[in-house]
Amino acid sequence: MNTSGLNGVMQNATALGEKSRACLNTFKAWVQLDSSNLSPGQQLSVKYFIVAVILFFAQILFGMLAATQFIFPGFLYEILDFSVNRMIHINAMIVWMLYGFIGCVYWFLEDESGTDIVGLKLGNLAFWVLTGAVTVVVLVYLLVQIGPGKDSSLWLINEGREYIEAPRWADIGIVVVMLIFFYNVVATFSKGKWSGIAGVLTLDLVALAGLYVAGMFYMTNITHEQYWWWWVIHLWVEATWEVLVGVIMAWSLMKLLGVRRKIIQTWLYIEVALMFGSGILGLGHHYFWIGTPEYWLTIGGFFSALEPIPLVAMVVHAVYDSGAHAFKNGNHPALAWIIAQAFGNFFGAGVWGFMHTLPQINMFTHGTQWSASHGHLAFFGAYATINIAFFYLAIQHWRGDVWMGGNSQNAWRWKWALGLLNGGVVGMTIALLIAGYEQSFIERAVEGSTWGGYFAAQNHPSFQSAMNWRWFFGLITFAGLILLIWDLLTIGKGETRKAPIIPVEE
Amino acid sequence: MIEPVALKDFFITFFSAALIIMAGGSYALLFAWSKVNANFRIKIAAYVAYAVLLVAVILLTRAAQFQGYWLIISAAMVIGYFFAPIGIWHLCVKTHTDPHYPITHKEHQE
Repeated sequence: MNTSGLNGVMQNATALGEKSRACLNTFKAWVQLDSSNLSPGQQLSVKYFIVAVILFFAQILFGMLAATQFIFPGFLYEILDFSVNRMIHINAMIVWMLYGFIGCVYWFLEDESGTDIVGLKLGNLAFWVLTGAVTVVVLVYLLVQIGPGKDSSLWLINEGREYIEAPRWADIGIVVVMLIFFYNVVATFSKGKWSGIAGVLTLDLVALAGLYVAGMFYMTNITHEQYWWWWVIHLWVEATWEVLVGVIMAWSLMKLLGVRRKIIQTWLYIEVALMFGSGILGLGHHYFWIGTPEYWLTIGGFFSALEPIPLVAMVVHAVYDSGAHAFKNGNHPALAWIIAQAFGNFFGAGVWGFMHTLPQINMFTHGTQWSASHGHLAFFGAYATINIAFFYLAIQHWRGDVWMGGNSQNAWRWKWALGLLNGGVVGMTIALLIAGYEQSFIERAVEGSTWGGYFAAQNHPSFQSAMNWRWFFGLITFAGLILLIWDLLTIGKGETRKAPIIPVEE
Repeated sequence: MIEPVALKDFFITFFSAALIIMAGGSYALLFAWSKVNANFRIKIAAYVAYAVLLVAVILLTRAAQFQGYWLIISAAMVIGYFFAPIGIWHLCVKTHTDPHYPITHKEHQE
C-alpha cells in the first residue's frame, strides 16, 4: 500500500480544512454579528435563513441558465440540460421558501410560547439532516441527469414528478423533518402558553406534513395520479403556505407596528375562513384538463372567481389601519418588503391569476408561458417578499436591535435591492405574459395544440423577443439579489442608535 | 357546457378579467378611503371604479360566452364586489373597537 500518497492526501485535506476555517473566521470578523443577541431558538432559525438565502441564490442562478437556453438552445447542451436547470430552479425555490418559513416559526416560537423550545437538539439534528439531504439530492440531479426509469431510480435518483422530483428517500426525510418540526411547535406551546396564533399554526402544520404524503405514491391511471399530485402542488403550496404566511405576518405586524393581538388573531381566523371558503375548491382550476369529471370546470371556475376576496379584504383593512397607525417603526426595509408583499400578492395571485383562470380561456393558456408569468409574480409577491421582510427583522435583532431606517448609512443598498428585485420580477412577468399570449394564440388557438403549432409559436419573433427581455430582467433580478445579500450581511454594522421599542398590546 | 373564447375575443377576455380585479380593488380602496376621509369626490370616484367593474363584468360575460348557470359567476361578481368592502369595513370597525385603542376614524367613534 502506498502510504506516502495517503499521507499527501491527508496533509492536503488538513491544509484545506485550516484554510476554510481561516476564511470563515475572516468572514465572521467582517460581518460583526453578535450571536449572544440571539436565543437558542433564534440561533437555530438563522441557520435555516442562511441556507434559505443560499438556495435563493441557486434558484436565480439556475433560472438564468434556463433562460439563456431559451435564447441559445445549444448552451450547455448535454452538460447541463434545460430540463435539469428548470428542475433545480423550481425545486430550489420551493425548498428555500420552506427553509425560510421554518426559520420564521423557530424565530418567534419562544417569544410566542413564553418558554424554551422543547426539542431544540432534535430541531438542530433535523436541520442538518434536511440540509445534508438537500445537498445530496441536488448533487444527484447534477451528476445523474440521464438514465433508465426503474424502481431504484424512483427511490434513489428522481421521482419524475414535475416540481416535486426529489427521490422517495428524500420525500420520507422531508416528512420526518416536518414531523419533528411539528413536535417542537406543539410540545413548546404545550409547555408554555397557547394563543390563537399557536392554534392556527399547529393545525396548519398537520396539513403541511400530511398533504405532502399525497405526492409520494404512484397510481397507474394518469388522471388519478395527477388528481393527487395537484394536492401537493396546489393545497400544500397555496393553502398551507398561505396560512403559514398569515401566521408569520400576524406575529411580524405585532412586533413591527405594535398591532393589538386581539385584532391580529381575529383577522387571522377570518383569513383562514376565507381561504377555506374559496381557496380549497379553487384547486378545481387545476382539474380542468386532466380527465376529471366536467363538474370540475364549474367548481374550479366559480371558486377561482371567489379567490380574490381576501385580497379585497386586505385593501380595505390596510386603509382602515392607515388611519390609526402612522406606520412608525424602527425597521424600514422590513416594512417596505411587507408592503411589497401586499402589492405582489394582489397583482400576482389576484390580477394575473384571474386573467386566465376561467376554463373558457384557460383551455388555451394552461401550461404556456402565461402560467409561468403568473407563477413568477405570485410566488415572488406572496412568499419571497415575506421571507425577505423576516430576514431583515432577524438581522436587526442579531445586530442588537439597532435602528434600520431610510436615513441610515448605506440605506441605498436595501432601497436598490428592493427596486431591482421587484422591478426585475415585474419585468420578467410582463415578458412572459407577452410570450404566453403569443403561445396561447398561435400554438393553441390557431394551430390546435399540434407539434407544428408548438414550433411555430416558439419560433415566432414576438416569442423570441419576449424571451430576450425575460433574460434581461432576470439579470436585473440577479443583480438585486446580490445587492440584497450584501445588504443583509452589512446593514446596521456600525450603527449605534437603537430602534424604538414598539409596545405590543395584548 | 362551456363555449371556448373565440379567437377575436382573446384580448378582451384577458383584459376584462384583469380589469375586474383592478376595478374591484380600486373600488374597495376608494370606498375605505371615503370612510376615513369624508370627501364626496372620493366617494364618487369609488362608484366610478364600481361602474368600470360593471362594464368589465359585462365584457367578460360576453367574451367568455357565459350562459345558463355560468351567469351566476357574473352575478356573484357584481353583487360580491359591491358588498364585500362594506362588510369588511364593518368587520374592521367591530374588531378594532376597544376603549384603550387610539381612535382616529369618525366611524370608529360612532
